[in-house]
Amino acid sequence: MTTQHKSKSLSRKEKFRDRLIEIIGADGVISSDDELIAYECDALTGYRIKPIFVVLPNSAEEVSAVIKECYKENIPYVPRGAGTGLSGGALPTEEGIVISLSRMNKILDVDIPNQRVVVEPGVVNLWVTDAVSSSGYYYAPDPSSQIVCTIGGNVAENSGGVHCLKYGVTTNHVLGVEMVLPDGEIIEVGGKTLDHPGYDLTGLVVGSEGLLGVVTKVALKIINKPEAVKTLFASFDHIEDAGAAVSGITVRGVIPAGMEIMDSFCIRAVEEAVGAGYPVDAGAILLVELDGPTAEVEALLPIVEEVLKENNAIQIKVAKDAKERELLWKGRKNAFPAMGRISSDYYVQDGVIPRSKLAEVLGEIGELSKKYGLRVANVFHAGDGNLHPLVLYDSSKEGDLDKTLELSGEILQVCVDKGGSITGEHGVGHDKKRFLSLMFDEEDLDAMNLVRCAFDVKGLCNPGKLFPTPRTCVEPGMKPFKEHPLQKAGLGEMY
Amino acid sequence: MLKKNIINNLLRIVGEKNALTEEAELKSFSVDDVLPEIVLFPNEVEQVSEIMKLASKESLSVLPWGSGTKSALGNKPDRADIVLSTKNLDRIVEHGASDLVTTTQCGITLKKFQSILNKENQFLALDPPHVGRKATVGGIIAANDSGPERLRYGTAREFLIGLKVVSADGTIFKGGSKVVKNVAGYDLPKLYVGSLGTLGIIVEATFRLYPVPEYSETYLVSFPTLEDAHGAVMTLLNSDIVITSLEILNPELISSLAKRNDLDIKDDQYTLAIGIKNVEKAVKDQVSTVKTLCDQNGGKGKVISGVQEEKFWDDIRDFPWKLFKTTRVVCKASVLLTQIPQVLETLKRLSDENGIKTYISARAGNGILIISIKGEPSSMIESLNSLRAFVSSIGGHLIIQEAPCEIKAGVSVWGDFGSGLGIMKKIKFNFDPDNLLNPGRFIT
Repeated sequence: MTTQHKSKSLSRKEKFRDRLIEIIGADGVISSDDELIAYECDALTGYRIKPIFVVLPNSAEEVSAVIKECYKENIPYVPRGAGTGLSGGALPTEEGIVISLSRMNKILDVDIPNQRVVVEPGVVNLWVTDAVSSSGYYYAPDPSSQIVCTIGGNVAENSGGVHCLKYGVTTNHVLGVEMVLPDGEIIEVGGKTLDHPGYDLTGLVVGSEGLLGVVTKVALKIINKPEAVKTLFASFDHIEDAGAAVSGITVRGVIPAGMEIMDSFCIRAVEEAVGAGYPVDAGAILLVELDGPTAEVEALLPIVEEVLKENNAIQIKVAKDAKERELLWKGRKNAFPAMGRISSDYYVQDGVIPRSKLAEVLGEIGELSKKYGLRVANVFHAGDGNLHPLVLYDSSKEGDLDKTLELSGEILQVCVDKGGSITGEHGVGHDKKRFLSLMFDEEDLDAMNLVRCAFDVKGLCNPGKLFPTPRTCVEPGMKPFKEHPLQKAGLGEMY
Repeated sequence: MLKKNIINNLLRIVGEKNALTEEAELKSFSVDDVLPEIVLFPNEVEQVSEIMKLASKESLSVLPWGSGTKSALGNKPDRADIVLSTKNLDRIVEHGASDLVTTTQCGITLKKFQSILNKENQFLALDPPHVGRKATVGGIIAANDSGPERLRYGTAREFLIGLKVVSADGTIFKGGSKVVKNVAGYDLPKLYVGSLGTLGIIVEATFRLYPVPEYSETYLVSFPTLEDAHGAVMTLLNSDIVITSLEILNPELISSLAKRNDLDIKDDQYTLAIGIKNVEKAVKDQVSTVKTLCDQNGGKGKVISGVQEEKFWDDIRDFPWKLFKTTRVVCKASVLLTQIPQVLETLKRLSDENGIKTYISARAGNGILIISIKGEPSSMIESLNSLRAFVSSIGGHLIIQEAPCEIKAGVSVWGDFGSGLGIMKKIKFNFDPDNLLNPGRFIT
């Protein structure tokens, strides 16, 4: 690159920064190298790219103005919440900016009688429940990172949690969003009321991994706290038995609020870390939470106990009060961080399988672990078949990471072969895009691209994510992209 | 008129016995008096694809069709060359009973589908109208139809986890997956729920299922005033009682239902129907609490169960179609649940002012009102426009679900699509650039 060329590109960058400062103010634009480091990656720290700038807008109007500027200058951008994502969804783009929504963190409307809360995207997940708890309500999706992760990030990833078996995931609790489209237009889709006429754009936007625009407001549904809650704990010698018990419980017509399994690696790590009272010599433990009307919970409890016994449970315990229950869950929620105690590095996967295949697949993962000579710890949302195999490795050891990635890929292949999915709640992002083709044919991906092209024809909004290979909106092989009649008539501009 | 060779090519795809071309036969497939030129009943997904390839090549418009129970929904179509019925695509592809998941072809009727699932003590948690009139699974998805139990289970979007679609150009593609939790790729199933056949022909669907609840009871209770009735609703919704369905019925509706169902209940008051399904003891306990709470609010009622209860909910689900067999005007309002009384009062005022009669079943926990109107066409048009103006002014929506053409000429069927319309049009354009699928009826 010649000096002249370099100085020219720098000045374009500087001009762009000045424009951003005009829009948001100097304190809302980060451009110094040492501050940008914090935005190089999300919780998937293996991939890092430094953005050219980070902006911290305060309103939808500021987001819109920034995006209009990006649109004009063809600068890609990545929206970011708390950066807790595990798939690299908030990984910056080369020569792009990051739009951090952390300042837009107000709860705008708490409407208890209508069971709705409207928030800005930077609001932390747990704050929603905190805002409505005293009225007897809560916000159901509860990812393990709920004390830091934001609603905006939850919307992008369609986050789950430990109670989504019965109550569903983020998409089942988001009724509408305000968003800034990739051309800068602010639109509202859905809202506090149900059944807005037209396509369910809300349903499309939730889980779109930040590729369709930047969400600036979210309308959420809150639900009543159940009358009764009972948490059961069971230990097993073999993890396959725990898996079979989970399938057995649903076959008997019981849908618990959540069912979670941890294997012996996790149990030991968690015990050391938080002392949840799990037996350290067990091969696996299973947590089952029942909730609902008292009489229902009382009727279902013996059924669950029976199934546990049928599947060789060693110890079965029912938490006798809220304190005991919280302790049991504390262990589960701290499983990921606790793994640091038994391994310097770990790589987490998020595959899903049909519940009935749990025992079988856990066995296969064990075999793969042996084949690669790498330990695999299992902690997962067993009720909905959502596995989180953690491959333990040592990044200082030559070749360990490559082997880890290969092993993880094989695990995902097993999930897909059993009729499952490569990701249940973490998203495809940067990390798993190469695996998306395991599930979807070219025709399926083309259909998804038609959606993306309706929103982001220039491909500036979180580009390079989700799709296995870059797709433009006029790619050869796709049917020719026709001009929209409005454009043809000169009434609208697409590019 | 379709050219002879095009007709022949279409007949070759499905076979002559799977097509109708005689005018007399075509009549029952007309949409808002627009008569198709041919009705096709493909037996295989590949045939649907062949039809769409030909339609795309020859620019033929196609109206996707299940059993036609919702053919009155939407604007009058701009054109209608082909009606493509999925009714022969009625096989269950796989039923993972132990996973509470099933995949089915979409031409299956909901009735048949449920009866197969019921054998495993499972069900698809949708209770829309028209089940007795052979509503198909695909049609229910496309129209996003639901019933009173949406309070407990939600609508199709909550449990449609995967689908297969034949697009306007004949490409077959899938979206979603066959497991209950999945975030890989865009959530295409959501886009298709309520897309009214404008984005492709839905040929296969994968659903999450629920276990059939053990027992059911309903408390029917009337209140001296609307305020009392709604007060009871708010108390119930703010409690930890798990209600399956909760309807406010206006006096006109309850009086018609009381006669049909031998209900022996006051027929000149606002009435609540509170349905609870669960294990038997939980139902009995909760119904007893419901009774206490309602009666404290001035309610007076009775518990129904068994056949009488089933028959009652059948009528509510199929309201107003079962109640009124002839010319119907049906609309659906959606507001916040606290705004329901305002809508009911507005309707009462419009009834008095315009000399119309309104029958209303309000999904009290969802803020949805199913409204049927009788009267002179001009008064109905005036009332519907006034109602929409009111509902919009409080942030809600009104759509016309069924009405004769002369009413549709005076009232917009869909109302305002909102600021997302531009994107909706682009999606429609990207998926169906030649506007072949249900042209003019919905997003165009």
